[in-house]
Amino acid sequence: MARVLVVDDAAFMRKMVSDALAGGGHEIVGEASNGVEALDRFQELRPDVTTLDITMPEKDGLAALKDILAFDPAARIIMCSALGQEAKVLEAIKGGAKDFVVKPFQGDRVLDAVAKALA
Amino acid sequence: MTGANGALLELGESTATAVAGVLEQLASGGVERGAVAVAGKDSDPFAGVALPAVAAAVSYVHGVTGGNLFVVSVPAALRLALAMMGQEQPAELGDAELGELELSAVSEAANQMLAAAAAATSTVLGESVEIGVPQTRLVASAAEGRELYDNTPHATHVSFSIFGESCRLVQLVPNAFVVRMSRALGDKAGVILDDSTRPSQSGSFDANVLRGVSLRVWAELGRAVPPIGRTVGLQPGSVLELDKGVDDPVDLYVNGRRFATGLLLVVDDGEWAVQIESIEPAAILGSALTEGAI
Repeated sequence: MARVLVVDDAAFMRKMVSDALAGGGHEIVGEASNGVEALDRFQELRPDVTTLDITMPEKDGLAALKDILAFDPAARIIMCSALGQEAKVLEAIKGGAKDFVVKPFQGDRVLDAVAKALA
Repeated sequence: MTGANGALLELGESTATAVAGVLEQLASGGVERGAVAVAGKDSDPFAGVALPAVAAAVSYVHGVTGGNLFVVSVPAALRLALAMMGQEQPAELGDAELGELELSAVSEAANQMLAAAAAATSTVLGESVEIGVPQTRLVASAAEGRELYDNTPHATHVSFSIFGESCRLVQLVPNAFVVRMSRALGDKAGVILDDSTRPSQSGSFDANVLRGVSLRVWAELGRAVPPIGRTVGLQPGSVLELDKGVDDPVDLYVNGRRFATGLLLVVDDGEWAVQIESIEPAAILGSALTEGAI
């Protein structure tokens, strides 16, 4: 089971992702609502896995991905994208993200992505 | 219908289709869609939606200007949030109240729907179009809601119902966006015609003005929409199935616009050729005009 940091600007999505992961036995160690907070929380909590939304205020998910990987190149990060953001997803995967999920998604898909990131 | 209205309707239809697709995933089995219409100058963006309502404003941040307003009645917001949480729809909402979670659900729905719509617009324009973060608030009156409604010269709207409750999408379209859509769609209204190229009142057109004009034409065998994960994993030797059969006609395009269909042939010198089955000459003309070729 993993310690997970959930990053999304929408409280609703943070709850959906957190509930799905907690239901799968993972521990939600923290949440963040933008890219700036994401790096702060990552440095503070050192989670096993981070789920990272792409479209966020202050600093988006792609910029946060670079920041986190610069701090910890071994960080396991899963991108959460909306339909139509394929180009950004590709950029994120090339940039070092372990996997991605496309919203709207089922809870099982998030659990699969976390399992894959941990493998 | 004028050319500008045609471009607006095409844009509105493209957006509505993408939005409806995502909305149906979020509220499976509970979504109905109305027809797209071009809004009048003084039209009320909240028409047909019971107030108070939740309004999520989503602006474009790259590619084009303008934005969208997703207006959701409170009962529709409550039902949408329930659906997004995978919960059963009660017959009556009773004393259910709108909280931060429900507002956030509407905001997230707007984000997902309009990201998909932006992708559809990107396809039409041939350029990346991106949206910003939704700004969501509860509005008690149409006057209050108009603060979210930019004074754009054009707008389209389309109504949806979510498990019987009303909501509406308003797309706010600046002039420059209309012109770019018109050009991309090969709509003659989006370009300035001089007298030599203007169709006559009878609708005929002097084909002599097209002599010497070259247009790049391409044929499309078929399409595939594989999951992005599979696309990333494609390697030499991988087989990607297309959506058309061997004997199906291929589509011919000029300037991004389909203008004919035909049968794929191999001619004597071993090169591919297409035998035209149906053709829309107006599309060729429109493309020539938008290319600025004449």
